[in-house]
Order: sequence, then structure tokens, then C-alpha cells
Amino acid sequence: MIGGLVSPSSGSVIIDGTVVAGVAPPRVGYVFQKDTVFPWRTVGRNIAVGLEYRGIPPSERMRRVREAIALAGLEGFEDAFPATLSGGMRQRVALMRTLVVDPEILLMDEPFGALDTHTKLTLHAELLALWERRRQTVVFVTHDLSEAITLADRVVVMTRRPGRLKLVHEVKLARPRDVIGLRESDEYAREYGRLWHVLGEELDVAHGHRA
Amino acid sequence: MSDRARVMLWRIAILVVLLGAWEWLTGIKAISRTPGLYWIDPFFISRPSTIARRFAYLCSDNVRLSLPQMALSTVQSTLWGFLVGVSTGFAAGLVLGRHARLARVLEPYIIAFNSLPRIALVPLVTMVFGFGLLAKVVLAWTIVFFIVFFNTFQGVRAVDVELVHSARFLGAGERQIMRTVIVPSALAWTFAALTPSISFALIGVVVGELLGGESGGGLGYLITQSLGTLNAADMMVALVSLGAIGIVMALGIKQIERRLLRWRPEYAERG
Repeated sequence: MIGGLVSPSSGSVIIDGTVVAGVAPPRVGYVFQKDTVFPWRTVGRNIAVGLEYRGIPPSERMRRVREAIALAGLEGFEDAFPATLSGGMRQRVALMRTLVVDPEILLMDEPFGALDTHTKLTLHAELLALWERRRQTVVFVTHDLSEAITLADRVVVMTRRPGRLKLVHEVKLARPRDVIGLRESDEYAREYGRLWHVLGEELDVAHGHRA
Repeated sequence: MSDRARVMLWRIAILVVLLGAWEWLTGIKAISRTPGLYWIDPFFISRPSTIARRFAYLCSDNVRLSLPQMALSTVQSTLWGFLVGVSTGFAAGLVLGRHARLARVLEPYIIAFNSLPRIALVPLVTMVFGFGLLAKVVLAWTIVFFIVFFNTFQGVRAVDVELVHSARFLGAGERQIMRTVIVPSALAWTFAALTPSISFALIGVVVGELLGGESGGGLGYLITQSLGTLNAADMMVALVSLGAIGIVMALGIKQIERRLLRWRPEYAERG
């Protein structure tokens, strides 16, 4: 809805005073759940594609792509085709491709859902570090409670279908965060316990319906 | 021995055995010394040695229309028919693939035209375009166009919507989406149609030549001429030449495919 792919059934989405209607607004970046890296482009040209669309001159494009590749730790893979990369690396390319055009709002729809825990934690750390540089607004959809607490300032819990707001919860954990150390802290445990309880209620509702 | 060499060796072995058997079997007389009575009569299927002799003769300057000239005419018409068919088929596939309404409107006409046996078109094409190069190119085109069109059309329909969405989020306009998402994605489908297309272009051309007579030239003309003189050897020369042309063209396509689709895992460069 924020991206303009789906229209709201009632009400409207307003970004900086502009109502979102239909097509994707130019200042919003979207990282999909599915791997949407273009398989026919090399890593470098995948990251460059958004700059190409915007008519950024090649020299400037090269510079920004090189920077992005260094940031994502993809050095040496500039000319590799996505088919030769792991899922984590491909998602990193997708993330850098979105970030390199510098969106003000970043929508992420379960971007790390298909990755293993190790890769996920690494990408959490990278995402947090990247975010510290620009501090964009990020809307991140996840089913993973730890992921939500690790990354978010504010967690919004949705109910089961028809998906209404259940709870808006501020995560009071200091930044910058350390993704490993964080999970050992008492604050993390407290946040986790509180949100876990709320999620549990949703499950109870589910059982109630089935019985 | 490497796997490649082993495969090559087997190929050659099969060729040698087949040619040897052919030469030998067509040389055995049913009743000794009585001329014309063979177990397998070389009159109908000729013999490798005779074919080789005729091949050399037809390549020489003693004939009015030499074999290389005829082969060139066939290759030329085939390539033109192929190029025109592929480019128009690809363009039509892209356009109709992106415009579902238009595709639905045109669907019955496309199916009807595609179900026409192409050979039934030959008299009409001859009436309109005569016997020459143009008629052969048109015949090849009528076949190649549809093969490429249907595959490209399917390819465009099969493009992953999420790739299109993500391109749009990265700021792509419709033309940019076409160029950077739809075309490269559909190309894989189009290429699957190209190898059969070369064979079908050759069919269209040879059918045209069978009817076209000397003004059409080509290997198809050599075949009808040989039928007129009941000369199996010349006919075999024409058939072998057509087979060789087919192989060379198919290999050429494969090379281009390997280059353009090098992002696909099956073409990934090794080492």
C-alpha cells in the first residue's frame, strides 16, 4: 500500500503530504521477500540498474556502485552472475540495488525470511550499520520476533486475518545495537517476553476458532 | 581419453559403419553377373562411391549450375527467411505479450493462419511473388514467424511480475521495463524456438524450390531435376548438402545463444 502496489480499502497513505496513488512513488525503495535480482545482469550491473533508470551518468554510476559493493562486502563478485551466488549474497545485492538510489522510505517485506540464521544475523548487522549512515524510514515486515526487536524502534503487531493493528510497541533498546550481544541482555529478554505474550494471545484466538 | 573425444569417436564409427554397409549391400548381385539384379538396387538409393563422384562432378565447371551456386541460393533464401521471420515474430510476440486485450482480439486469426498447411500456400505465394528469391523468403517467413511469435509471446507472459514491480520501484518507465526486464527474460524462450526455426526455414525454402524450377535455383531444384532424370545419386547429393547446411546453421545459433544467455547456469563459464 505504501508502495502503491495495492490500494487501501478505505483511507489513504500520505507520504510528506502527498497521497500515494497507483504506481510506486519515486522516493520509496522496496526489497521483496522473493529474490528479485535480475539474473541476466552481473552483480555490478544489477546494483547500477536503478541509477541507469534515473539517467545518472556512467562515471557517477560506477563510483556509487563501487561504493555499494564495498559496503556490502561483495568485492570480487562485480562481474558474477546471480546464478553463481548464494541466497544471502543475492539478497545483499537486492538491498544494495535499492539503497544505492537513496530512497527516503525503505519497504522491506520479509527480505531475510528465506535465509539461514547465520546469514540473517550478518545481514541484520549490515542493515543496522547501513541505516546508521542515512537513517531512512524503514518499514520492515517479519514473522521473526527476534528480528523485529533487533532492528526496530517500533514494533506493530497485527492480528490474524483480517489483519488489523493489535499493538504498537516502542522498543527501548539503545543504538547502535550489537546483534549478538543484544540477545544476551536483560532488556532484550524483557522486550521479547512482552511481545511474545501478545503474539501468544493471537494464537489462542486461533485455537478458539478452530475448536 | 576425454569424454569429448570418445563421443566424437563414436560418431565417426557410426558414420563409417553406415556408409560401409550401404556401399557393400548395394554391390551384392542377386544372380551373379546378371546386370540389374541386386538385393538392394543402387538405382533407387545409389551408393556412397557414386554419390561422391557425382558430388565432385556437380562441383566442377562442367555443369551449367554448380552445386556451390545452388547451395548458396538455398542458404541465402533460408537466412533471409529466418532473419525476417525471427525479427517480425519476436516483435509481434513482445507487443501482443504486453497487450492482453489486443492478443485476445487477434487470437482466432492467428490460430487460423497458423493451422493452414504451409504447403497449401505455395501456389498463392508463387502467383504473387513468382519463382525467385522473394517467394522462397516469404514461404520460410510464414513458418518461422509463428514459431518465434508463439514462443516469445509465452516468454513475455511468463515474466515474473515481481521483477517488473521491483524495476518500477527502482524508477523504471515502461520502455525501460521492456528493455531491461521483458526482453532479456523472454529471450530465453525465443532462443528455444530458433533451432527448430532454422530447420523450418529450410523446409519453406526447399518447398519453394521444388516448385520454382530453374529460376528459383537452389538444392530443391537439383532434387526435382534429378527426379526428372531418375538420378538417385544427384538427389542424394542434394539431401546430404541440405543436412550439412542444417548442421552448420544450428551450430551457429547455438553459439549466439551461448553468448546472449551466458547468465543462465547451464551456460556459465567454467574455470
